[in-house]
Amino acid sequence: MARPGRSNARVDLIMLAVCVALALVTRVLPASLRQPISSGMRRSVLAPLVMLQERSELSRRALMLSGPTTQMRDSVTMRALTVASLEAENDRLRQVIGLGARLKWGFVPAEALHGRSVRDVTTLTLTAGSNAGVERMSPVVSAEGLVGVVENVDPTMSQALFWTHPDFRVSAMTEDASAFGIVQAHAQSATSAYMMELRGVPFRTTLAAGALVISSGLGGVWPRGIPIGRVVQEIKTAEAWARTYLVRPSVFPADVTTVMILKPDRGAKGLDNVWTSAAGITAATNRIIGAGDSLARTAALAEAAARRASVTADSTRAANGGVATPPPTGGVVSPPRPRPRPVDSTRTRSDTARVLQVPPTGDSVTNRPGAVR
Amino acid sequence: MNWGSFARGLISFVILIVLHYTLRPLLGWRAPIDFLLIAVLLLSIRVRPGAAAIIGFLVGLIADSLTPDSLGAGAVAMTVVAYLASWLKAVFFADNLALNAFFFFVGKWMFDMLYFVGEQRLSGVQLVQQIFLWSPLSAAATAIAGVLLIVMMRPLLEPSQA
Repeated sequence: MARPGRSNARVDLIMLAVCVALALVTRVLPASLRQPISSGMRRSVLAPLVMLQERSELSRRALMLSGPTTQMRDSVTMRALTVASLEAENDRLRQVIGLGARLKWGFVPAEALHGRSVRDVTTLTLTAGSNAGVERMSPVVSAEGLVGVVENVDPTMSQALFWTHPDFRVSAMTEDASAFGIVQAHAQSATSAYMMELRGVPFRTTLAAGALVISSGLGGVWPRGIPIGRVVQEIKTAEAWARTYLVRPSVFPADVTTVMILKPDRGAKGLDNVWTSAAGITAATNRIIGAGDSLARTAALAEAAARRASVTADSTRAANGGVATPPPTGGVVSPPRPRPRPVDSTRTRSDTARVLQVPPTGDSVTNRPGAVR
Repeated sequence: MNWGSFARGLISFVILIVLHYTLRPLLGWRAPIDFLLIAVLLLSIRVRPGAAAIIGFLVGLIADSLTPDSLGAGAVAMTVVAYLASWLKAVFFADNLALNAFFFFVGKWMFDMLYFVGEQRLSGVQLVQQIFLWSPLSAAATAIAGVLLIVMMRPLLEPSQA
């Protein structure tokens, strides 16, 4: 009975010895032989297990990185939230730089510091004063248009009245100079806060919604051509001999950050083509398109006239018994000239209007005791 | 060992192999649990020492294939540990969790000693640190995991009543 057990133990020992010997042989194999063996096992027996291990390690890495990833995502979100404001600021600064390039000289750049809450601003503190050449009653403008006027000047900073101030006035006109008036803040109701009104427009003049209102340059303070706003609609007032229009301002108080203070000599030289270049490009484009349309219309008319002349010639030949009548001038049928465009009687030439208008003057900040002007 | 017991042992073996390649990398501990060794030990005590040596050799060789530089070291260590586990199975058939934990602990520690000595990658202080610090920690983690698995997989691991 002991014999089989001893025999089995011997077999076990032999198997152990063989396995250990094989393992040791594997251990001492040169790398060139070890590599194919391990590679073969990895690609066959171990392949699904390696795949499992790889996924587990990826999962672990994802778990480990979840915290930093969340932080990074939060940071990116925070940055994304600031991107819009940065882009807006970038655009604003670019516009200001563009304005400076167009003005070329005679201005002092300054930062506008809002004194009170942004929604209730009537005065601005500007970070430039008499040391920089700022004078009292100097116009303050931004890339969008009219901002206000300097009221008090210190050596290093100055105080300006925003256009929302109740005493603020500016002599204005429409872009085509068809109407003149006085622009002031419109503070009739809470819903219309931060709107302007164009007062004193002659009753016979009707302004369309969207018409651009610019400074007329008649008051002496504001040079001509600074955008003030766009007409929204007419508003009813007690004045029976003049119209008053609600104007959407070009510059809203909350948007004012960087401004330009115009020096008096710069204003005196005029601001033509400073703000109107973009509008000029649009007008030129429209004119080119209009000219193209006119040429096409002329060509169509010429073709129709030639066809009509041909039909007339055929009729004449038939009436004359088949004898063709020579064309009146050298055999060439000249198309009739296109009829001149009908004159729009409702449209008034701007220069005529300018002559007819009696522009009100006086951009000022008056109407109060101890007024600036 | 009848076929039913063998099949259950094989199932638990496969489960432990899968755990070794999924849970262990997921945990990523410095002193990892060696599910492979637990699987080999639990299978070894069900077969004769010679068969256990073959199982240990094959499992060790396959595991070594992931580290070609130490190919064979794990095979030697696993062969010896599996053979000894099978030879001592009479002792560890006892239904005593503490004894089983000691069984896993010693098995893992012995495996590590044989493996790191045979691998010859570490030497000096690093080898001593590995064998007397990280290997016991890993052996302890393996022992705890082994005992928990025995408790959880008792229906699969207990011997057949027939």
